[in-house]
Amino acid sequence: MKILNQVENFFGIISKKIGKHPIVPFILFGLVIASIGFLPHTGLMRWGTMGVFAYIVIFTVVAMGLNLLLGFSGLISLGTAGFVGAGALGLGVFINLGFPFELAALMVLIIAGSMGALIGLFSLKVEGIYLAIATLFVGEILRQIYTQLEIFGGQAIRIGAIRFFGFIELSMINQFQRSILFLLITTMMVMMMIIMHNIVKSKTGRALMAMSRSQHAAQAMGISLLKYRLTAFVLATLFATFGGIMYGLYYQNVPTTAWTLDLSLFVIAMVVVGGMKSIYGTFLGVFIIHGIPNLWLKNYFGDISYIFSGILIILVIIFYPYGFVYIWYDLKRLYIKHKLRWMKKQVIKDE
Amino acid sequence: MFGVHLLFDGVNTMTDLLRLLFNSLETGSVYALAALGIVLIFRTSRTTNFAQGMIGTFNAYIAAFLMLRYGFNIWLVALVALITAFLTGIIIDTFIIRPAAKVSPISKQIITLGIIMVIIGILPWFFGVDSMTLPRFIPTAYSITILGADLRYNTIFVIAVSTILMGAMFWFIQYTKWGLATRVTASDETTSKLMGVPTKTVTMVSWATAAMLGTLAALFVAPRISVFSNMLLTVQISAFFAGTLGGFSTFFGPVVGAFIISFARNFTQFYISDIWGNVLVYTSILVFLYFKPYGIFGKKPTKKV
Amino acid sequence: MSKPLLVLENVSMHFGGLKAVDNLSFTVNEGEIVGLIGPNGAGKTTVFNCITQFYKNYQGNIYFVKEDQSLDLRDIDVTKVIAQGLVRTFQNVELIPDLSILDNLLVGAHNQFKTGIVAHILRTKKAREEEKTLKEKAYGILKFLDIFELKDFYVKGQPYGVMKKIEIARTLMSDPKMIILDEPAAGLNDRETDELEVLINEIKKQYKTTILLIEHDMSFVMNICDRIVAINFGKFLAMDTPKNIQKNAEVQEAYLGRDE
Repeated sequence: MKILNQVENFFGIISKKIGKHPIVPFILFGLVIASIGFLPHTGLMRWGTMGVFAYIVIFTVVAMGLNLLLGFSGLISLGTAGFVGAGALGLGVFINLGFPFELAALMVLIIAGSMGALIGLFSLKVEGIYLAIATLFVGEILRQIYTQLEIFGGQAIRIGAIRFFGFIELSMINQFQRSILFLLITTMMVMMMIIMHNIVKSKTGRALMAMSRSQHAAQAMGISLLKYRLTAFVLATLFATFGGIMYGLYYQNVPTTAWTLDLSLFVIAMVVVGGMKSIYGTFLGVFIIHGIPNLWLKNYFGDISYIFSGILIILVIIFYPYGFVYIWYDLKRLYIKHKLRWMKKQVIKDE
Repeated sequence: MFGVHLLFDGVNTMTDLLRLLFNSLETGSVYALAALGIVLIFRTSRTTNFAQGMIGTFNAYIAAFLMLRYGFNIWLVALVALITAFLTGIIIDTFIIRPAAKVSPISKQIITLGIIMVIIGILPWFFGVDSMTLPRFIPTAYSITILGADLRYNTIFVIAVSTILMGAMFWFIQYTKWGLATRVTASDETTSKLMGVPTKTVTMVSWATAAMLGTLAALFVAPRISVFSNMLLTVQISAFFAGTLGGFSTFFGPVVGAFIISFARNFTQFYISDIWGNVLVYTSILVFLYFKPYGIFGKKPTKKV
Repeated sequence: MSKPLLVLENVSMHFGGLKAVDNLSFTVNEGEIVGLIGPNGAGKTTVFNCITQFYKNYQGNIYFVKEDQSLDLRDIDVTKVIAQGLVRTFQNVELIPDLSILDNLLVGAHNQFKTGIVAHILRTKKAREEEKTLKEKAYGILKFLDIFELKDFYVKGQPYGVMKKIEIARTLMSDPKMIILDEPAAGLNDRETDELEVLINEIKKQYKTTILLIEHDMSFVMNICDRIVAINFGKFLAMDTPKNIQKNAEVQEAYLGRDE
């Protein structure tokens, strides 16, 4: 009975609030992205393009985690790549040890999350550039471990097909299954977007912002720096690691040498260029930093395409210091201005 | 695993020790040069310059290219590279850093990432994709042997040049009018500007100097590892670590940090293990930082409630 | 006879060699509006920072009476002070510029959110109801302060007078027994200062709080306060009604005498 009631309530809510409910746009957005997973079958899109979009989807999750740190908590991490690596490589290690996928993912998240907590503790002592470089230390330590430790397989870990719930097997090699995998990671991205949205709109999001905007006011309002520094780093780490798990899930072949400072810097660039504090902005940032060069520029310019990406980053930051997503407001303003001008003209004509 | 090497007889140990000492002093000098460049920019422009290594690499490419194409000797191409480094610094400051003056510190760091990408794109376009080499300033043949350990004249040269250069810089910063301008710009740019300190010139010269320091570091490591786009990666990361360990609030702290890191790395790698040496050093520095968060010489910035 | 609410006993605070607060004792009674005055650099804000536990290494004792129990504030962590019913504002308005006014108020209710992060992520019924209740509480306060229409705007870009109001509104979110105001009238024009006077009296009446404030605007302080504590160089000068304080020779010499 109770379940029935809940179902009824659920549909009642849907019919009433479908336009207003905050998660609806995320789901619509997810549906648009998910459609990319099926375009290659129709011949409208190359398989490689889908691979680029998979990367964008994965790194949107990673960058959202960093956005929680950078945009909301005013903290920085140069160790993001290390945790993405932890997710992807850790998943591989545990699966190859014979763990089921779900358990492997959970264990990786727990391990990485506790490392995030340690960094959070550290951040209570250290600030600014010192904290940034402390996280760089962590990233470097992780990178060294990945490349040196035998358990990570030297150059790369091959996961092979991933088995869900013990019986549904999905492999990268089969084209149909690859589309399903794409759908799966897109679903995961939408889920993480909703989680992010719910966190930043809650007491936690407000506390993180209070902590970074005015530490003293935050303390006077009862916000514990210890708790929220930890929260910020644990969340960022979990998002990064989750992204890593998605990476392992989709590509199923994880290199050990890819998790460098450069990658961490790219993730920061994604957040800064796309838009601090904005979920869609994060996606936009990943698209600009990774998508544009890999989808178009590289085809025409090869390695020189880096010049364009570099100039793009510099220009976006100089002209849109809060992120490119805020171009939306400029466009709106422009539109209103033109509309007003047009209306004035009409009035003059009428007279 | 621990201490296995120490069981060797005395002479060998001594030789190893000296070899490590010379090696550490040389790499330490290179790290120190790079660290000094990073601190200089951090203090005057309030930004972490991730492009420090790449700017040095770019100018090392110029040197290697000139040598390959026109057969100039190392001294001449080094001179040219330092001049182009000076210009690179000025160009970057004028066209990129200054227009972004109002941008937040984190965004500024990402701008330096943009600079890295531009340079990565330029390298193959200007210089082709073949890897190049640069010789030592003084050929390897010239060396003396102390207790069985080779000490190359080039090593002495690297250490001497770095020491003299850093000494000169400290003297300049501490005792000259322009040095004073640098220090006050570093401590409070707005007030300095109001007091008539030419902060723009200070920042520009800092970028130029930092670029030259980075280039020198690149020229010094190039013979060991050849010239390629990521040649200064380790140097740059070590320089960041040196700055943190020594403390970014002084100019000499990072230099001390650079030597500590170079020594710690070389010795742990040799006496403990190649694989775990770095991990061990980094972890112990992290632990150290937990207790002394602003480095050996750094001070905690004060805040008002 | 009214009950004491906040008791300072021989409180001293040093910064290096400088004595910012020197053996200061006074008591604030329940339901009073007390002003703390003194020339610039007299150590007023330091006193506030000691009371609210931003500084822990003061000498002497500060007690806060809660449910007839005398509480040594030193045992309370700075982030737990608000939970005792003691809340403050800051000299330079400390708000979160890129949050809406409503959200800034909800920050003040931080402790009253009992649901955890998992409940927020899942948006459970309990979490939603809690948010709704506290939002309604915030609406009430915003209406009381006459800034309800602005609730969805960012704090950034609001006029100074509104920001000061938001800060006061934020303190009210925590159902405080005592509000500590650090220069509430600073930066306000005459009309706004008059409004503030009315407002503070209204707050005292409606929310039944005690108020301790620092202010430089003498006519404001004299009008609004029941009693005034005067200090100079961290030392206690006098504590009395506004009338008597004005007559006090020591205070005149240290403070009012300089006005000419």
